[in-house]
Amino acid sequence: MIALAARPAMGTRFEAVLAGEEEGRLRAAGEEALETIEEEDLRWSLFRRGSLLTLINARAGDVSVRLDEEAFDLLETCRAIHRDSEGAFDPTVAPLMRSLGFHPGPPPPMAPVGMDAVDLDAGSRTVRFLRRGIALDLGAIGKGHALDLAAARLREAGIRCALLHGGTSSAVAIGAPPGREGWRIGIRGEEGAEPRLFVELRDRALSVSAPHGRTLLRDGERLGHVLDPRSRRPEVRARAAAAVSPSARLADGWSTALLVLGERPPRTPDDLTSAILDEAGTWRVEGPDRRIFEAR
Amino acid sequence: MTGPSRREFLLDAGGALAAISLFPDLSGASPLAGADPIEVGVIGIGRQGRAILTELQKFDAAKVSALCDVDPSRLESGARRASGVEGFADHRAMLEKAKGLKAVFVATPTHLHRAIVEDSLAAGRAVYCEAPIASTLEDARAIAKGARGSKSIFQAGLQARSNPIYRLAWSFFRSAAGRDLASMRGHHHRKTTWRVTASEPAREAALNWRLDPEVSLGLEGEQGTQQFDVFHWFTGRYPVSVRGAGAVRLHNDGRKVPDTVLLDLAFPEGARLSYEASLANSFEGTHEVFHGSQATIKLAWTAGWMFKEADSPTQGWEVYANRQRFGNEEGITLIADATKLAAQGKLQEGVGLPQPPLYYAIESFLKSLAQGEAVVCGAEEGYRATAVGILAHRAVATGETVEIPESVLKVD
Repeated sequence: MIALAARPAMGTRFEAVLAGEEEGRLRAAGEEALETIEEEDLRWSLFRRGSLLTLINARAGDVSVRLDEEAFDLLETCRAIHRDSEGAFDPTVAPLMRSLGFHPGPPPPMAPVGMDAVDLDAGSRTVRFLRRGIALDLGAIGKGHALDLAAARLREAGIRCALLHGGTSSAVAIGAPPGREGWRIGIRGEEGAEPRLFVELRDRALSVSAPHGRTLLRDGERLGHVLDPRSRRPEVRARAAAAVSPSARLADGWSTALLVLGERPPRTPDDLTSAILDEAGTWRVEGPDRRIFEAR
Repeated sequence: MTGPSRREFLLDAGGALAAISLFPDLSGASPLAGADPIEVGVIGIGRQGRAILTELQKFDAAKVSALCDVDPSRLESGARRASGVEGFADHRAMLEKAKGLKAVFVATPTHLHRAIVEDSLAAGRAVYCEAPIASTLEDARAIAKGARGSKSIFQAGLQARSNPIYRLAWSFFRSAAGRDLASMRGHHHRKTTWRVTASEPAREAALNWRLDPEVSLGLEGEQGTQQFDVFHWFTGRYPVSVRGAGAVRLHNDGRKVPDTVLLDLAFPEGARLSYEASLANSFEGTHEVFHGSQATIKLAWTAGWMFKEADSPTQGWEVYANRQRFGNEEGITLIADATKLAAQGKLQEGVGLPQPPLYYAIESFLKSLAQGEAVVCGAEEGYRATAVGILAHRAVATGETVEIPESVLKVD
């Protein structure tokens, strides 16, 4: 028996496909997983005035903001990816994104970027911005974070076979469909092109990043929405990047970092497998789960 | 609440029907800044309990220090949403051991409220109790009497009464728009199973209390109570009878509790409220509508509109109008405090309720605790709305018209 459930969240469509014995129960589990994603959207949306992220951005420049365990863990994960990716992933790009016109609203008077200006105090579990104008944007990791929590909810409900995805760019697989090694997913390197890389996903998460997802025309130049926080420009060194990891949030954050870098940095997590589409149009797959990828 | 000044309302002077959005004053956004943190506990960490934790995080004036749930998994999930809390499986142990606790939020299944509320009040804790406050008239009365006889604050979680949009609309309704009320309509559509899953069957049965006909008040009680109260509050009246019917239209999983219900509530002097709720369809979500001879008001929890009749008097403050189209009608967005927002160039930012309705209910509770403000919805209002919900459920369950005599609506 297969059940489907879908909800809009985080500016895209999340979908759950579940396999099992009782359809009603599968549907209920799918709904709960998607409700978890909705809850995370309410907490981490940059554009909702009532979100936790809006509160952090509004107040952390003046005072230390107390966080719950989940929220603090997420920001610590951001800090770790930022450090290990040598700054290629940076969740403080919000003011810069607005300044470049990717986010709505007037450009801010200044657009500082720097995770080094985000102080996370594990003892008091608080966050504080050390520089004026700093703001967080978790757009490059939020979907993965929500998918991790949703998948945990499904596992807790006893679901053994499911695929959850957000906007087809981030997915998490639980088990595999009957008779298969994993959930077979095609990865498209170019907009509109047929997939030439496939992955059999099982108890892993996948995230794919590419600059063509959202673009902006500025001074006659088409700019991709992925910024290199170090140069402060929308520039990347690969045509697409995919990351497979046991953690959806790590896969999400690292796919962005790998797109910016164009190669695996030395401190890439050992359990993370990457696939990078270079400028010549060749997929380069590295990491412990290389065997689950198939290039055509 | 301070009533809106007349120039804060923007009415369309043109022909046909005009839609006018009612939005709250956003100037008072500071969540009780400066107050000493009040230690609070949350009892029941299901969906609603987690939502309460999320909103509480926004208030400096409150610190969650204790959580309670019989389900270890839910307790653990709640603890991840709070910082430095102590977890309890039993509310009595929580009330006994968490000495600094000043208030509790009761978000357990409805039929379990009574003992928790009574114990909490007896232990001197203020109580915010989700609505409906109980699943039987006897329990609801006991809670209301207990709250009345206690020195502690009690707030029933009827969220409309603290919702800035509804408060704004209420004052307008009472002043003009509700004149010559013709009819009322309530609507709740959300496509969902209403089921909860767990890895153990026994645990799953307990978590699915809303689908248990022995204890559940069904859609008409569990959801309807919140919405019926909007009509009670606006009109100042309660229904005199209710009839209804329900059926399982989509979720054929063996459930007995209908997933779709229709009700007809008769109010004094001939006005009627038709109420429809369904778990089979999501169209138009949740809203309440008042049809008056001068205008129709539609309230949808995070937004509200007024559709003026073409022959209703023209007002002089249309200058701030922000127009919207609703199908063939051109409406005017009404924003409370529009003058100030326009001067700041922030008129568009005034569109939409900034926080979820639950936030404002919690805020008003904390204001009562920290600043001594009047409780926006006390035990008596909570009891009466719950009683209507219980009798509406009886009407759906029996298929008969159920009378609602005044005596039933009295706590004593």
